[in-house]
This record gives sequence, structure tokens and C-alpha cells, in this order.
Amino acid sequence: MSLTPAPVLEAGRLRLRGPEMRDFDPLAEFFADPDRAWGFGGAETRPDAWRWFASNIGHWHIHGYGYFTIEMTRDAAPAGLCGIWNPEGWPEPELGWLVFAPFEGQGIACEAALRAREWAYEDLGFTTLTSNILPGNARSVALAERLGARYERTYQNVTMGEDMLYRHPGPRELDSDGGAEAYA
Amino acid sequence: MTVTLADTPRFETERLILRAPEARDWETAAAFLVSDRARFIGGPYTQTAAWRVFGHAVGHWVLRGYGQFVLEEKASGSLLGSVGPWYPNGWAECELGWSLWHASAEGKGYACEAAERLRRFAYDDLGWTTAVSYIDADNARSIALAERLGCVRDREARLPVGEGSEDDATEVWVFRHPAPAEAAA
Repeated sequence: MSLTPAPVLEAGRLRLRGPEMRDFDPLAEFFADPDRAWGFGGAETRPDAWRWFASNIGHWHIHGYGYFTIEMTRDAAPAGLCGIWNPEGWPEPELGWLVFAPFEGQGIACEAALRAREWAYEDLGFTTLTSNILPGNARSVALAERLGARYERTYQNVTMGEDMLYRHPGPRELDSDGGAEAYA
Repeated sequence: MTVTLADTPRFETERLILRAPEARDWETAAAFLVSDRARFIGGPYTQTAAWRVFGHAVGHWVLRGYGQFVLEEKASGSLLGSVGPWYPNGWAECELGWSLWHASAEGKGYACEAAERLRRFAYDDLGWTTAVSYIDADNARSIALAERLGCVRDREARLPVGEGSEDDATEVWVFRHPAPAEAAA
């Protein structure tokens, strides 16, 4: 059983592809580590992690987009998740990311986010994108800013509570800046 | 972009079409999930949580290769509910589950018709050698259906993770289905 068509996006040393069963163990490990997962929310137990992961597949089915699994091109190892997230109750579609512990600190989230944002603008026709970041998540704020996103407002998210909304440069803005590469 | 489930089975019974969930089922499923009718499956849910429950049902198909089928009434095209093999992480055993989405679908044997066909699917095509149904002790209609399907209560069976704790407001009973040979007889 599969989702079709699940796009595969090449991004140099990374590949973004649809979720697969083999991604579940590393994702459940991520969710089980509160230091790492608190900024992402979603799942406290392994069964909760399963439901979150399965609901992400359903998200693809409903919207035609969702979280890709980031895998390393060299050995196909799952390194994290990145994509467009817009479940019921969300203010608007957001560009989100998470990286599994062994792959942190290598710029993987940034490269994946640039590729996913480009896909959303060029292939899905999005004209804007946000990222929702919990107050205190300095790493994610730093990455959002590196991607050219700017703080817009703080609001109450339906599942996360108080949340900050960052807005990414739109497709035209990126074009006039010489493309997404300007922010990498 | 349209993303759909691929290669999913589709069955017809006398009065029903049984097929994998589609995006167009969402509104009917949501109306059920936010209603009091969902009280025996962890609800009623908020609209936000309902969306994730529906998404989970779709993702389950991809992760396990099977899942809940949506019941369509042949005569009217109405969406009646969902029935099917169910085994999310944390479940002690493979389950055959069912929900009818509105009261008007009850009392006509639809859930039974679908469950008999999909139990056969689980045994013949998925190779299950046994199946349970987890049912809230207060859910008399569902217990009656389990008994009609030849299930007997199994007091020794393990419960899903998180069920059966002291502070649980509801009690879950495990009903065991007749084994493949017995069900086919």
C-alpha cells in the first residue's frame, strides 16, 4: 500500500521523499526525547508517535502535501522530517522541520527547508509560507531567520498553545533577491 | 496535486461497497467523530483532534498495508461508517473494528455485513490466525454485534497500551473472533 504520487525531491546530499514505515523508529526516538521534541510537540508515548506519524500520511492524502522524510542520499538513512504542515485548526500552511539527533549540527534542516519551500512555491503555487515556533526555541528561530523569515505575531495555536508565527519571504521576494540560494 | 492511496482492495457485498478512505470522506467522518456517537472510540473529539484521527486511519493503510474500509451504501452512495482490520502501535493484537457514523445506519445489519466480509479478508488475504475486537463495556450495541459475529469475551487477553488502568473511566472488554476454520464453517 502506498501513496501516489509521492514526490521525491533531490537536494544534493539530501533527498526528500514520502513517509515510509522504516521512518517510524527514528521518529519515535525523537518524540521520546523531551529535550529535542518539546519544540515540536505532538507525541508523548510510542503509540502517540505512531498516531502522529500516521496522521502525517493522512495529511498528504487530504492536502496533497505534508512532511517529507529527509534521507541522506549516500545511504538512504532517515535524517529527519521537513515539509508543509497544515492540519485542521492551523492558522495557515507552515514550513516545518525536525532533525534526528545523530544528524544535528550539519545544516540538514536548512537545506531541506530551502528545497521544500522551493517546491511549495514552484510546484504547489503557494504565494506565502509561515513557520510556527514555540517561544524559547532559539535554534528554530535562528534557522527561520537564516531562511529569511521574519517574526510576525504571537498567537494561540490549537494544540501548541502560545506560539510565534514567522513569515517567509514569498516567491517574488526570493526571485528579486537572486533566488533562495541567497539565504543559504 | 492529488495524493491518493494506491493498490487498496475494494469489495462488494450484497448492499455495500467497501473501500479505503478518500479525502472526500472527511466531512462525514468528522461529523461522526465530534458527535456523542464517538464516545466509545475515545471521543467526542474536537474538530482539530478529529482531523488527526481521520489522518491516522489513512496513514494506517500505508504503514500496515491494510486498515479501516469506508462503507458506502450501493443503493444511495451514502457513507455509512468504517469497518476493518486495525493494528496501530500499542495494540496488543490485531483487531477488527467498526463504527457506524450516524444513527440512521444502525439496525440494518450493515456493520455485520461488512465485518463478516472484512474478517474473511483478514483471515484469507492478510493471513491472520485470530482477531479480537476491543469494545467499551457500556457499548451494548457493539457487544451485540460481536456476539452475532460469533465472538466470545476473552478475559485473559491483553489490552492496548494505556487501557485498563485504575483511573480509567471506561472499561474495555476484549472479544475474540472465531478462528478462520470456524468462521468459514
